[in-house]
Amino acid sequence: MLSDSLKQLWHKLGSPRWFFSLTTPWMTGLGAAAGILLIIGAVWGLAFAPADYQQGNSFRIMYVHVPAAMLAQSLYIGMGVAGFVGLVWRMKLTDVAIEACLPLGMLITALALFSGSVWGAPTWGSWWEWDGRTISTLVLFFLYVGIFALREAISDQELRARASALIAMVGTINIPIIKYSVEWWNTLHQPASFTLTEKPAMPSEMWLPLLVMVLGFYCFAAFVVLLRMRVEILTRDINARWVNEWIAEQKVP
Amino acid sequence: MYFDTFTEFLQMGKHGFYVWLAYGTTLVVVLGSWLSARAAFSNVTKQLRQRAELAQRAGADESLIGSHNESKT
Repeated sequence: MLSDSLKQLWHKLGSPRWFFSLTTPWMTGLGAAAGILLIIGAVWGLAFAPADYQQGNSFRIMYVHVPAAMLAQSLYIGMGVAGFVGLVWRMKLTDVAIEACLPLGMLITALALFSGSVWGAPTWGSWWEWDGRTISTLVLFFLYVGIFALREAISDQELRARASALIAMVGTINIPIIKYSVEWWNTLHQPASFTLTEKPAMPSEMWLPLLVMVLGFYCFAAFVVLLRMRVEILTRDINARWVNEWIAEQKVP
Repeated sequence: MYFDTFTEFLQMGKHGFYVWLAYGTTLVVVLGSWLSARAAFSNVTKQLRQRAELAQRAGADESLIGSHNESKT
């Protein structure tokens, strides 16, 4: 029966051991793709893309700011979805995912804020503006910090998993606020550089490197999150037989 | 290449400081999160290897491995 095999797949998805062996062959390729894309994108954006006719060369900050901001939100959405699945189906793996997304998400959100500030200095003439987008992104940063602090404070694993899942889920309300902040409030922040439905306002020699950087950042995030999940799975299952069998198969470096 | 000379590339018009500050921070964040995740992974594999070795030396049953070592929660 199809529904039976679907059910089986769903159960497997929740199994840390299955997830670990599933992701093993992905790691090298993901890491290499991230490295290559980021190097190509950075060199292209820094040295080959033409300067903006209004902003000059400061617009090159876009190539790190936009992917960082996209990732900051995507990682949070990832945590929110994991939180929802974890609360409804009581999977162990979802808490592992939240744990792995947290440090990277927090750091990348800080990077989005910082690079935005550095871009704002020559462009808006100020290092910080209380505009809709900066405020809602700051809220996103505090959500990450809050969940991080909460996890440090609660020692009971079950309670910690449920509390962080709940906050991650509820906090996703902030994501559409970030997205529409540039439309709802008439602000300094420029609208989206990329949308799925419209052609970018930039010429292709400007947005192609951005596309490469965005892909590179997503590969990088997938690589780091999966690596952290694998660490967490091994740590949590440290007494399990399969972990001991796995380590016996690994070559000593 | 958009710039004519390497000096121009470094100067980025008037915006060299801002551009390099943003890219430098990005490099630190990317390398930092990669290296720390990698360190965590080699840390846990090292720990596992030591435990396997200890268990082998003690000739202990697999089910006893780590019974004195609470795993990190």
